[in-house]
Amino acid sequence: MTEQQPTSINKILVANRGEIAVRVIRAARDLGIPTVAVYSDADRAALHVRYADEAVHIGAPAPRDSYLRMDKIIEAARQTGADAIHPGYGFLAENADFAQQVTDEGMIWIGPSPYAIATMGDKQSARTAVTKNGVPLIPGTEAGLPDEELAHAAEAIGFPVLIKAVAGGGGKGMRAVHDPEHFAEALATARREAESAFGNGDVYVEKLLVGARHIEFQILADSHGNTIHIGERECSIQRRHQKLVEEAPSVVMDRDLRERMGKMAIAAAESVNYVNAGTIECMVDKDKNYYFLEMNTRLQVEHPVTEMVYGIDLAREQIRIARGRPMTHTESFLEPRGWAIECRINAEDPYQNFMPSTGKISTLITPTGPGVRVDSGVYPGSEITPYYDSMIAKLITFGESRSEAMLRMRRALSEYTIMGLKHNIPFHINLLNSFSFIAGQIDTNFVEQRFSMTTYEEEPTQAELETAAIAATLYAHRKRQEAAQVVAPAKRDASNWKWISRWERMQR
Amino acid sequence: MKYVALINNEQYEIEIDNDGNILLNGEPRDVDFLPLGASLYSVITDGKSLEVVIDDEQGNYQVMMGGRLYEGQVLDERALMMAQRRGGLGGGSGEVNSPMPGLIVAVPVEEGQTVSQGQTVVILESMKMQNELKAPIDGVVGSVNVETGQTVDKNALLIEIKSPDEE
Repeated sequence: MTEQQPTSINKILVANRGEIAVRVIRAARDLGIPTVAVYSDADRAALHVRYADEAVHIGAPAPRDSYLRMDKIIEAARQTGADAIHPGYGFLAENADFAQQVTDEGMIWIGPSPYAIATMGDKQSARTAVTKNGVPLIPGTEAGLPDEELAHAAEAIGFPVLIKAVAGGGGKGMRAVHDPEHFAEALATARREAESAFGNGDVYVEKLLVGARHIEFQILADSHGNTIHIGERECSIQRRHQKLVEEAPSVVMDRDLRERMGKMAIAAAESVNYVNAGTIECMVDKDKNYYFLEMNTRLQVEHPVTEMVYGIDLAREQIRIARGRPMTHTESFLEPRGWAIECRINAEDPYQNFMPSTGKISTLITPTGPGVRVDSGVYPGSEITPYYDSMIAKLITFGESRSEAMLRMRRALSEYTIMGLKHNIPFHINLLNSFSFIAGQIDTNFVEQRFSMTTYEEEPTQAELETAAIAATLYAHRKRQEAAQVVAPAKRDASNWKWISRWERMQR
Repeated sequence: MKYVALINNEQYEIEIDNDGNILLNGEPRDVDFLPLGASLYSVITDGKSLEVVIDDEQGNYQVMMGGRLYEGQVLDERALMMAQRRGGLGGGSGEVNSPMPGLIVAVPVEEGQTVSQGQTVVILESMKMQNELKAPIDGVVGSVNVETGQTVDKNALLIEIKSPDEE
């Protein structure tokens, strides 16, 4: 490929919201580059709007009317003179069309090429591309085969198998089948689901890996022909395919496996001439066989754990690469320094089947101290609205060892106080108490199949309940007194204090 | 002032006199309760130092202490009398309210149907997720105020369930 000449970036528009918009604004600010935020009606008071140098309103709260409106975002960039756009993650981050439009406008897209996004965004073309470079795939069929051929293929692959929708995502149109008798029925259900969810009933079949871990490699590539990996992240703590906790490194990794998987990840990225930050997601089974799952062509939610153990600023490197400069490091990273864990703090009630919660954050006490990092998009008084996803913040702790990182996470979770809505901090506290998690014995089914909120949770003691009761009562008592004081003071001849005692006598 | 605090379904009688002395179930308690902000308090009791956050929403109290959430109500004598007239303290209401704005995806029950506590009565889509709202009590569905496809606001009354005792 041709070497890109270094260019300058004078102003970055961040086409996102929440904590990732704040994260990118911070990276830009560290580099001395001014930023432009975009916001919907629901986000006028959001943190990313407050932190950016300029802010442009782009529409109604629903994403399709604002954060997904390519025309409005490009117009906002034109209007403010921004010459680069950072998409964050989600929304338009993996939209090849948008990347192309930004480039066609003569602006710099802080991300991979539209070709790389499009190729990796489609399961089939991604598989075709990486196979060319010798990347191992989970044994499976191609898409769009008729029922009979799929059934034959399932036998050949060997049960258990997984039926997956070609257009799938979020577990829809996905069915695990453990024996041949149930295959036909599961296939019909998966097709129906896929048809109604995506308007496309095409499915494929692949081997179901039992007890597998989700391990991914961070990739960084510049326009000068350098592609490196920055180690792995373990993301096996998931619920409904949503990651909840990530760590770096992984307990199953040794130097040899990291070297081999890292090479494979680089080969996967190079198969589409990848430039900028990306992630190669893999499944690793009990015998440490690894298989390519997909490539995420963007900065990941969980990128901070990599930053902590390798001492690198990925968002800043993204900007540097987009400017056409060589990246800071041109050798892959094989030796993590210490251990980092990230807990995603979501507005979801773990006691009510993780039901999302909305509302105003009335109190927010954020943990600090040694080894603690919080990437957050909220502040006391900010609102969690129903329009966007439920992530409030990411809590990341670092330690010399996994146990130190875990102990710091426990401490930080106990300091973290968020009031006004339900959140999943109690889930994380319970997880950090679970023996399986402490021992690192986890796989992608752990949370859904073997974890319960009640296993490690002790009932409060009588003394704790009494203290809570007294505190609540003193609070109620104070409220009452305050209410009494504000009742039409001018019409009373006696002082407020006299008036309260009279009023209290009256109540007796 | 006399109060009854109901915390995690345990009932406590608490009295606060004019000098601020505290009695819990008749026993004096030494509690230093120092406000630090709108809802943040420093509590020292029995030599223990605790940070406590207290919130109330429409009379429902939430107390966050030591990483744990306690929930309940605090009633003065008059409120207690009224609550008892309504059928006792902590007797769960049969109202199913919308916990957040969203779209009604399904209402798998109808009026007059007998439901048991924990049974799904409404499926509400919000924040890109489908959420099953459960019956808070055993009883009979008294009224269904929503239909599939309707959008609702936070706290909207969706379904009322009458407990068998009421009939």
